[in-house]
Amino acid sequence: MSNHDQFRELIQGYALGALDAQERSELESHLASGCDECSKALDEGRWLVSQLAYLAPGAEPSELLKGRLLQTVRAEARPGATSRRTVRGSAVPWWMWAGVAALLLFSVYSAWNVRRLHNEIGTLREQAETQKKERAKLEQEITAAKIQAHEAMIWSDPKSVKIKMPAKDPNMPQLEAMWHPEMGIVVRGWKMPSLREKRVLQLWLIPKKAGGKPMPSMTFWPDAHGTFTAMVENPPDAMSDTQALAITEEPVGGSAQPTSTPMWVGGVS
Amino acid sequence: MFLAAFSPKESDEVSRDATLLQRLLRRDVNAFEEIYVRHSRIVYSLVLRILRQGSTAEEVVQDVFLQLWRNSSHYDAHRGPFIPWLLTLARNRALDQLRLKGERQRRREDQTEELPQIAAAAPEYERALDEKRRAERVRSLMSSLPAAQKKAIELAYFEGLSHSEIAATLNEPLGTVKSWIRNGLLRLKESLQASS
Repeated sequence: MSNHDQFRELIQGYALGALDAQERSELESHLASGCDECSKALDEGRWLVSQLAYLAPGAEPSELLKGRLLQTVRAEARPGATSRRTVRGSAVPWWMWAGVAALLLFSVYSAWNVRRLHNEIGTLREQAETQKKERAKLEQEITAAKIQAHEAMIWSDPKSVKIKMPAKDPNMPQLEAMWHPEMGIVVRGWKMPSLREKRVLQLWLIPKKAGGKPMPSMTFWPDAHGTFTAMVENPPDAMSDTQALAITEEPVGGSAQPTSTPMWVGGVS
Repeated sequence: MFLAAFSPKESDEVSRDATLLQRLLRRDVNAFEEIYVRHSRIVYSLVLRILRQGSTAEEVVQDVFLQLWRNSSHYDAHRGPFIPWLLTLARNRALDQLRLKGERQRRREDQTEELPQIAAAAPEYERALDEKRRAERVRSLMSSLPAAQKKAIELAYFEGLSHSEIAATLNEPLGTVKSWIRNGLLRLKESLQASS
């Protein structure tokens, strides 16, 4: 292709963007050489091509599109607005994005709130547990104090009967008991040896009735200092029907009948 | 000379666009809104015809108007009328989108990212018709063309096909397709001139 008229024939195709690569390259070289006539023809050709847009069936964009655009433009028009918000994804209206954002915020808030409540519940549980332990400890102390008071009353009341309980083994200390007809029995011991593993001491009431079996009572064991105080508020039998008190060594939990020879025995007068 | 051909209404329309574009340079949101109201319908119609999918078409229209908002200084009112510039921008964007979607493999190597270069001087007959009458004239002329010729022009304009691709699509000789397109556009020009 070498003459001007041949280039003119390519103008419309070029304006349409329909030329193949070689023709396009040749025409662009010709235009770059400064051909005013072809440049003007190309201007007109481009304008003509733009008029083909009117062949498209008329259609209206959605109002949402206008809303999104104006929202973006207004944001960018504000003084100091430097970032350009991209509003791609136009299939989703802005209010739906706003809804999604609100949901996300709500979810984050809910998660935070749940976590906060969880922590608060944990703290409250810890406080309740602490209070429960403190209450139990207080109750134990009150119970211990009551027992001590009860023991002291039994021990000091004139109605109480003192019972000496010598040990069968001369190397073992003697125990003492005090029996009050209404308030019960208290047994005390000092300098007691340690018991074997999983063994406890058990108190028995030996009935006066001939052939009567020992009546099982409470179990107990000395503390680290070899001391113990045991109290039976409701003895299984009356003092008047009891011949003697006896203490044996039994398995933990006690026994229904003695499984060993009494280590201490004291007659009830 | 061509000023004599202006109808009062047409003159007002051109002047209004020019005024709005001046305000757009000053970041006037109201001017942008008026431009959108005035021209979004034809831009959307064109893009929808090319892409044939409403949601994608709206994305492209959005890009076109945001580009206008952000780069309004790229448009030189002294170099040509605004509407053809805007339509060319919209068409290029839509065809780019069409290629991105893989519906067309052929690459248009020109004007892909650049703003369109529109007529340095609009033809006089352009100013003698308002948009509605011009649209009617374009449709009338195209309807009068033989179906194959009309199809060839539509494939080039709306589908972005090259002469060779159109020839293959229509199973017609390449030279015939070139003549159809060239002569069709020349007839369109004559028709618009006659109307003015």
